[in-house]
Amino acid sequence: MTMEKIVLPDIENLHQLDVYLKNGGYSAAQKAFSLTSDEIIDQVKKSGLRGRGGAAFSAGIKWSFMPKSNDKPKYLCINGDESEPGSFKDRQVFEFNPHQLIEGTIISCFAIGAKVSYVYIRGEYHKWIKLFQKALDDAYANNFVGEGMKQKFGTDFSCDIYIHKGAGAYICGEETSLMNSIEGKRGYPRIKPPFPAQSGLWGNPTTINNVETITNIPPIINKGWEWFASIGEPKHPGTILFGISGHVNKPGVYELPSGTLLTELIFNYAGGVPGNKKVKCVIPGGSSMPPLRGDQIEGIKMDAESLKIAGSAIGTGGVIVMDEDTDLVKVLARIAKFYYHESCGQCTPCREGTGWMLKLLNRIVRGEGSKKDVDLLISVANNIDGNTVCALGEAAAWPVKFMIQRFRDEFDARVKDEIMIPVLNKVHSMRKTANPLSPVQN
Amino acid sequence: MPHFILDGKEIQFIQGQTIIEAAAKVGIDIPHFCWHPSLTVSGNCRVCLVEIEKMPKLAIACSTLASDGMVVNTNSVKALSARNAVMEFLLINHPLDCPICDEAGECKLQDYAFDHSVGESRFVENKVHKEKRVSLGTHVMFDGERCISCSRCIRFCDEIAGVNELTFINRGDKVTIDTFPGKELSNPYSLCVTDICPVGALTSKDFRFKSRVWDMSSTKTICSGCSRGCNVEMWVRNNEILRLTPRYNEEVNSYWMCDEGRLNTFKSVNADIRVNGPHIKRDGTLVKAGWDEVFALATSELKSYNKSEIAVLGSAFATCEENFVLAKFAKSVLGIKNIDFAKHEKPNSGDDILIRDDKSPNSFGAELAGIHPLKDGLNFQNIMRAIDEKKIKALYLVEDDLVSLDEDYKKILSKLELFIVHSSNFNSTTELADIVFPAATYAEKNGTWINFQGRIQKLLPAVMTVEMDRSLDGMAMSRLDKFGTEFDRWGKSKKMNARPIWKIITSLANALGTKYKYQTSEEIFDEMSKTIDLFKGLDYQRVGELGVKLNVTTLAKVKV
Repeated sequence: MTMEKIVLPDIENLHQLDVYLKNGGYSAAQKAFSLTSDEIIDQVKKSGLRGRGGAAFSAGIKWSFMPKSNDKPKYLCINGDESEPGSFKDRQVFEFNPHQLIEGTIISCFAIGAKVSYVYIRGEYHKWIKLFQKALDDAYANNFVGEGMKQKFGTDFSCDIYIHKGAGAYICGEETSLMNSIEGKRGYPRIKPPFPAQSGLWGNPTTINNVETITNIPPIINKGWEWFASIGEPKHPGTILFGISGHVNKPGVYELPSGTLLTELIFNYAGGVPGNKKVKCVIPGGSSMPPLRGDQIEGIKMDAESLKIAGSAIGTGGVIVMDEDTDLVKVLARIAKFYYHESCGQCTPCREGTGWMLKLLNRIVRGEGSKKDVDLLISVANNIDGNTVCALGEAAAWPVKFMIQRFRDEFDARVKDEIMIPVLNKVHSMRKTANPLSPVQN
Repeated sequence: MPHFILDGKEIQFIQGQTIIEAAAKVGIDIPHFCWHPSLTVSGNCRVCLVEIEKMPKLAIACSTLASDGMVVNTNSVKALSARNAVMEFLLINHPLDCPICDEAGECKLQDYAFDHSVGESRFVENKVHKEKRVSLGTHVMFDGERCISCSRCIRFCDEIAGVNELTFINRGDKVTIDTFPGKELSNPYSLCVTDICPVGALTSKDFRFKSRVWDMSSTKTICSGCSRGCNVEMWVRNNEILRLTPRYNEEVNSYWMCDEGRLNTFKSVNADIRVNGPHIKRDGTLVKAGWDEVFALATSELKSYNKSEIAVLGSAFATCEENFVLAKFAKSVLGIKNIDFAKHEKPNSGDDILIRDDKSPNSFGAELAGIHPLKDGLNFQNIMRAIDEKKIKALYLVEDDLVSLDEDYKKILSKLELFIVHSSNFNSTTELADIVFPAATYAEKNGTWINFQGRIQKLLPAVMTVEMDRSLDGMAMSRLDKFGTEFDRWGKSKKMNARPIWKIITSLANALGTKYKYQTSEEIFDEMSKTIDLFKGLDYQRVGELGVKLNVTTLAKVKV
């Protein structure tokens, strides 16, 4: 297994332009300008590079959705809104390898025909916005971006890169909200179709890629798709930035080939669990992904396909480890609070359902829950799942559904068989019809 | 034509139509809150989720384009449970204050709760509380707790009224509607948001708490505010108009009407200063008199002037039928040439949406019905000048408050020796009159108006006068008026002793020795359709609820 690092190589001061250039920086861009955009898209397709933002969709195929005609301006958005609890890998790119992101952006713009790219960075990332702005300023000053790149690279293509600072909403990491946010509108997800490649920023063809995804582009162009495709799991090749947190001795971001064993990541790279406690629960891809039972993580590989089979998903690669003493009911209540707080409120199931789930969970945490409430939680989650405008519905519903499904005993232990609670909304809640529809199985 | 299957039924559609649009065209209503045919699709309420074969997830019918051969189910287990779920979600934080809510009876949430929810809530937590009774502007009140965040009102302001006045604020279940800081909901169409609000979140300050919806009758008629002639529903309880709401007519006003028309046109009908019964001036003041007495007086007075000393002014507020009979009376009974009517133009007061400069509803129709000077006759300006010069000594005026047009007319009109006025309300013009006939308002009679587009539209009576027969005149009845008799509430309430112009003129013509046999407005219309080219082939049936556009090429010759 090769231990090569693609996104965050171990080179000191790589964030500085001169160091980056000494290590072959911007040579991929130079090479890219000698290719056609179709050739670049084809290479990225063949490399098997899959999006690192959560959905793990093929980057090359996504690019190929962009129309070939030039009757409208095209845009590239780089999604650095990284706000999912447990995810903190993109900020490493801004801090330690910003020029590779810039170079990847230039190549991507060229490939899809975009003259403008927006790098959308989470508002709380003040420090990283500054760091990335510094790198971007250097790149402009040295003609790697902007009008000057025409002469620098000897091409008739040029593009501009702008940083757009988020304003603190998780929902703006959803690609269509992100576009609304850039347009200065309320961060509400758009209904799809139309998809961004048809109608994105200001109604123009737009592609949205994750920071880590784009940072993978220069090495693919430089070293060829065959090289990239050979790293890690063939169906999800390359390295992945795993951000591991929670009950581990050495939390942090580890760049490892896809398919690395979850246990290897926890016990070897992250130094195991403090006090050698047992692992009770692991969320493998950021807080919205289905949690795995600690006693079932043996042999699970960290790549999209393997995690799917294991009943979860790779997400953003943000691994959250919880030891045997963790109160999972409280954990779930905290996760539910996050999605309640971040629900934009646009569509009914998410707006109303996230609050309901939180209220139920808080009641169970207080010891005022009944067995019926646990079933109700699953039902409410099911009623959100699949019925919303955007994926925040699933992000809120999955943890609830799967945490309860996989740790039912913990929840049952916290509730009573039956509980009398003062009913505050009596008129509505106590109303029953003679023949209510039988509950539908989800 | 391509088609898709909706619940087993074949639905034809035009390429580019969404499922909900195509279904609506053939009269199938897929449940929806946020979708509105005249607004952009927002897709946020999720109640129109349907199951489409070969699609992994449910899709919203409001944004999914229909495609050939598509199989759509609104009642599959999956679609039904999603709809139930959405209804449950919408109701958990809703205050359920239907007993005191103005929207009750015409509330989509209420109706859908009845049709599409399981009738049982599993929610026992505290409800989310929001601001109630927020004044968004001069006319609109907002209740945040009732709001289901469908965004229709926001989209209306942005897309129809053309002003960004409303927005969502906050997130999640704290989302609510607000105006921008320091701004108000103040566009001239602001009350339309109360029509399209599917719940009782946005209510009219003018109508709030006035009546239960089901206690009123609604009559399909026309707004009198300007020459647009917006189609409206007139809502009446106990013989009193309580509100107007726009009635859909894509050719005229779509789903909308302006606040001015909605609020300030009908109040004169309910007003305390109505002319109730004929009046004669005695010792400088108007006093009540009997109909026969007044007819006798008017007849003898009119006879005592030369034809050149008399002028007749029709009205852009009266119906075509009334103006027609008046013109006929002036020409053939009085035998005069000085016939015209006053225009009510307010330059630059109109806009590109609905509001017109011409503040009268029927200037087109008045002219078409024959209210214009005959050869060598005087027009309105010259009539006024001739009165001032005391060349015209007698004026017969119907339904127009001339003094409100110009204060100077007061001085001129007081020079008249005989001034007969038809008026529904006492005003500064009636003060000068010798005889005042009580005029039935537009809400109390049948008839037609022609709007600025040349569209002839029908008025229907919604308020009863003393002489009116509700069943004969085709009036709607409210729940409180089941039988339409003297014993129900409507029969007992205040009714005016007033008549439409045509009826009074008919009596007057007969008194002057010319037999007029008109019994209804419709008979006059039938006569018009025989004598006026543009009306050829038309009758009340054909004019119908939405009106008929008259032949435009001929219209161009008629100046408006």
